[in-house]
Amino acid sequence: MSLLDATTDAFRLLFGGNAELWGIVFISLKVALVGLVLAVPPGVVSGYLLAMHRFPGRRALVVLTQSLLAFPTVVVGLVLYMLLSRQGPFGSLALLFTQDAMILGQAILAFPIVVAYTLSAVQGADPRAHETAVSLGAGPLRAALTTLNETRFAVLAGVINGFGRAISEVGCALMIGGNIAGVTRNITTAIALETSKGEFAQGIALGMVLVVLALGVNLIMALLQGEGGMK
Amino acid sequence: MTALLKLDYLRKSYGERRLLDLGGLAIEAGQAYVVTGGNGAGKSTLLRILAGLEHADIAGMQFQGGSPAGATARQRIVYVHQHPYLFHTSVADNIAYGLKARGIGGAQRQRLVEEAIAWAGVGSLRLVPPGKLSGGEKQRVALARAKVLAPLLYLLDEPTANLDGEGRRQTIELVQKLAHDGAGVVIACHDREIIELPGMRHFHLDGGRLIQV
Repeated sequence: MSLLDATTDAFRLLFGGNAELWGIVFISLKVALVGLVLAVPPGVVSGYLLAMHRFPGRRALVVLTQSLLAFPTVVVGLVLYMLLSRQGPFGSLALLFTQDAMILGQAILAFPIVVAYTLSAVQGADPRAHETAVSLGAGPLRAALTTLNETRFAVLAGVINGFGRAISEVGCALMIGGNIAGVTRNITTAIALETSKGEFAQGIALGMVLVVLALGVNLIMALLQGEGGMK
Repeated sequence: MTALLKLDYLRKSYGERRLLDLGGLAIEAGQAYVVTGGNGAGKSTLLRILAGLEHADIAGMQFQGGSPAGATARQRIVYVHQHPYLFHTSVADNIAYGLKARGIGGAQRQRLVEEAIAWAGVGSLRLVPPGKLSGGEKQRVALARAKVLAPLLYLLDEPTANLDGEGRRQTIELVQKLAHDGAGVVIACHDREIIELPGMRHFHLDGGRLIQV
């Protein structure tokens, strides 16, 4: 099959409402979004605490967070595989090769991105924002929420980037999801599988969805940065 | 008059350099003070310490006879920055911020905010994003945001710095109103017009010590 034929077939699959293809897209979005929902609260809290407080080991935690940004997804997959496999410490939970395991993996991948962006946003925030909140009688929680609200565009950029990493990674999803059709097969693992089988049409179709998602994420980021710049 | 805030001594150093070395301080309720001093003399630092925004070596500090770190003190002392920070929300929401923090809601909050807006004369700025306000307008909104909380002690850091013309005149008017409002007011500034306001007690900060002028 030529590249042109494969691309034509890919468009046919996309716009013909192919249930299998759109099921894969749904699984990808579900796993990435739920993973993100799990990663954002602890990520934002950790980033805020790292930015606002000085304590022993803080610098090591900041370096660790920055290192995790570039951590290979297959290594995260490998570690999770060992933890979740039948012989592993969490084997009894029977999570391996389930969507829950993939969600866990993508939450772990998105977490350091959310932490790093929040840390950078809060550190770069005008210190008068927090001081003003405190001086007007805000307690620690309200002052923290106010500071985060004042830096919301930069924090949201972290959330969107975290989503970008989760939806586009393949290593972790493949290792702990197992690429089971209709259950744990997402866009990236399906592309890898279809390409290895020489079935390029579905791979191209899914690739196009992924590219559209990536472009959408970047567009939102650009809009947010524009909005933040106008404040 | 009773001392609203008092302390036995206050020392603040940066490394080897001692910025403040006050042997006793008493701020009376209903009295307005102005603190002058050269650049870097420690005027802003003193206010920030009294507001609880900076640490210092302090002994015997009391606010209304109680702990200055207590919730009562924290809610009755308001500090206003030299260049006030306005949250990225409406002018009315900025003024309502401290009321929300105190759990004051509904019609009461709305009434207090309206009163503060009228007091500061910022009604025409309601729909202007804070980022678009001039320095003088920001200062007036910040003073309204402080005033709405009816604090017992205002700490104002250079309220007319970098202001001129109408903005400065309006800010001085508001400062004067605050100074006659029954609360304690401590103002760090160089502005001759504020220093010479009636009833103002003038202290000069020199070599880390406060000297009454």
